[in-house]
Amino acid sequence: MTGITHATALWYASRATGVVTLLLLTAVVLLGILVNRQGRLPGLPGFAVTGLHRNISLLAVAFLVIHVVTAVADPYVTIGLAAAVLPFASAYKAFWLGLGAISLDLIAALILTSLARARMSRPAWRAIHWLAYAAWPLAVVHSLGSSADTRSGPVLGVLTGCVLATTAALAWRLSRAAREVPRAGRAAAILSRMSARKAGL
Amino acid sequence: MTGRRTLAHPPLAMGGAPPAGPGGLPRLMPAAGAVPVDLRGHLAAHGPLPAVRSRDRLLAEVAAAGLTGRGGAAFPVARKLDAAARARPAPIVVGNGAEGEPASSKDRSLLWISPHLVLDGLQLAAAVAGSGSAVLYVTRGDRLHARLAGAIAERAAAGIDAVRVGLVAAPDRFLAGEESALASRLAGRPALPSHRPARGLPRLAPGRTALVQNVETLAHLALIARYGAAWFRTVGTAAEPGSMLVTLHRAGGRPAVAEVPAGAGIADLLGLDARPGVPAGSPVPSVAGPVQAVLVGGYHGAWLTATTAAGLPLATTALRPLGAAAGAGVLAALPADRCGLAETARVARYLALESAGQCGPCFNGLPRIAAAAEHLAGPRPGPRARADLERWAGLLTGRGACHHPDGSVRFIRSALRVFAAEAGLHEQGRCRSTDPRPFLPVPAGRPATEEDWS
Repeated sequence: MTGITHATALWYASRATGVVTLLLLTAVVLLGILVNRQGRLPGLPGFAVTGLHRNISLLAVAFLVIHVVTAVADPYVTIGLAAAVLPFASAYKAFWLGLGAISLDLIAALILTSLARARMSRPAWRAIHWLAYAAWPLAVVHSLGSSADTRSGPVLGVLTGCVLATTAALAWRLSRAAREVPRAGRAAAILSRMSARKAGL
Repeated sequence: MTGRRTLAHPPLAMGGAPPAGPGGLPRLMPAAGAVPVDLRGHLAAHGPLPAVRSRDRLLAEVAAAGLTGRGGAAFPVARKLDAAARARPAPIVVGNGAEGEPASSKDRSLLWISPHLVLDGLQLAAAVAGSGSAVLYVTRGDRLHARLAGAIAERAAAGIDAVRVGLVAAPDRFLAGEESALASRLAGRPALPSHRPARGLPRLAPGRTALVQNVETLAHLALIARYGAAWFRTVGTAAEPGSMLVTLHRAGGRPAVAEVPAGAGIADLLGLDARPGVPAGSPVPSVAGPVQAVLVGGYHGAWLTATTAAGLPLATTALRPLGAAAGAGVLAALPADRCGLAETARVARYLALESAGQCGPCFNGLPRIAAAAEHLAGPRPGPRARADLERWAGLLTGRGACHHPDGSVRFIRSALRVFAAEAGLHEQGRCRSTDPRPFLPVPAGRPATEEDWS
């Protein structure tokens, strides 16, 4: 096995943080779906779902920054800093890295609007947050196209797992939304459940 | 004011007094039975509505009269009219007759018997606010709607209304008359209360506001414009001037609507024998039999023991230290042979089913509290039932999207205080009541669908 030399350290770091970022982003999307349906994680209080969703997204941003910086700093290929945010401006694999740049721009919009949430109208914030459903697939496609590592071996397994988990979560979200009690009937549904529970107190 | 057609009316000269019985009452509805007053009868009794030549003079007269809103919140009318007069663009004027409170029938009665007083008040409010349109917001239902449409058409034919009045149907729900729910309904959306805290005039849409007044308030306004502030203050107290409509619930009869001086004694209104010798907490004799407790202010109001209530006036200043308020004038004298906890549980169930379903404390908390109240009202409640009720009630206050959870919790907590002895008996498997018949009027709690809010 080839060792990680000084020359290739940045390259490996970029790829490794890329995989970790994708894993974290997948976790963020799954938790976001859980927040939307007011689901709970076993053993954790209700506010933990939202808290984890936010904190892991910030962790993902940290890894994303390292992923971009190491890729730009690496002398092996020519990727300008501008290419990180300007789509298709890179000299190396312009198309695939361009998709990554679009994804990064969308993620930046998500993070910045969520940090400034108190100052925005809620419908505007929600509309921008829906861009998450564009940012994540772009990140996946960017991973598949920009490096041969992701198309074989254990990394492919990781990627496949992420895609399957997200698809399953989406299906769950849609089925829950379809079966949801309309707002006007919620109190009645809970009341009949409570009354049926004789020994609840 | 905007270029609307001016009509040949006498200027705003206030004086004289309307035909009335002893004590200056009734004012809003004629003394001779529940016969609806048509336009001719109305004009014969009160004369034509004076034209508002000076908006400031009318505002000053209303301020001097000290008229407060009769919808329950008792907000000073002069302040609200002033805010409406300064609002740009001019707000739409709404007469709120959607009496969502099942225990209150005063607004329905007033609209049925004296619609022209209410419509006069609506015209006055529109003149002060400079509005070009007015709306009467009344619960959906055939007979009252037909009668009001007829009254509006009568006035249009006589050409006495400067501003066109539309009729808007409110859904038959407890919260439909709430100000933000009303605004939502006028804007074409379901009549659900809004999440935003109320600040200033309620908004229908960006830049469009509404001046909302209870129909009884408008009727008083119509009389003040004719007879002046001094006349208005000949009845009532200095702090709570004028008269008010109350709905009285007593054993052995149907609910009665009466016009009484504001700040009148609760004992006088309910016929309670306020002898000083009765020990606190025990039933008070009355013309309809012994009374154990009095519900003041409706289903978002509070229970008081009969002995406490018998010594108080129906005035918010006196009631507030006890956690109650005059509200929309609902008084119910619970007979000593009924179970106060059973009545509370029935009302709590109704309040839970009337939830708008918009926020967790309401659609989650109120059903739980209602189920717990039913448990406490039944045989053999567990030892923790009362403590659980208290705890959950404390969790809900101030956390809802509107005031429905707060009002409901106030009602239930007062029941836990007033019927504490009864709760103790229930825990031992006993109940003092001998009459299982329901006392308070509670509509059959059928679960709501989305259409029910439109």
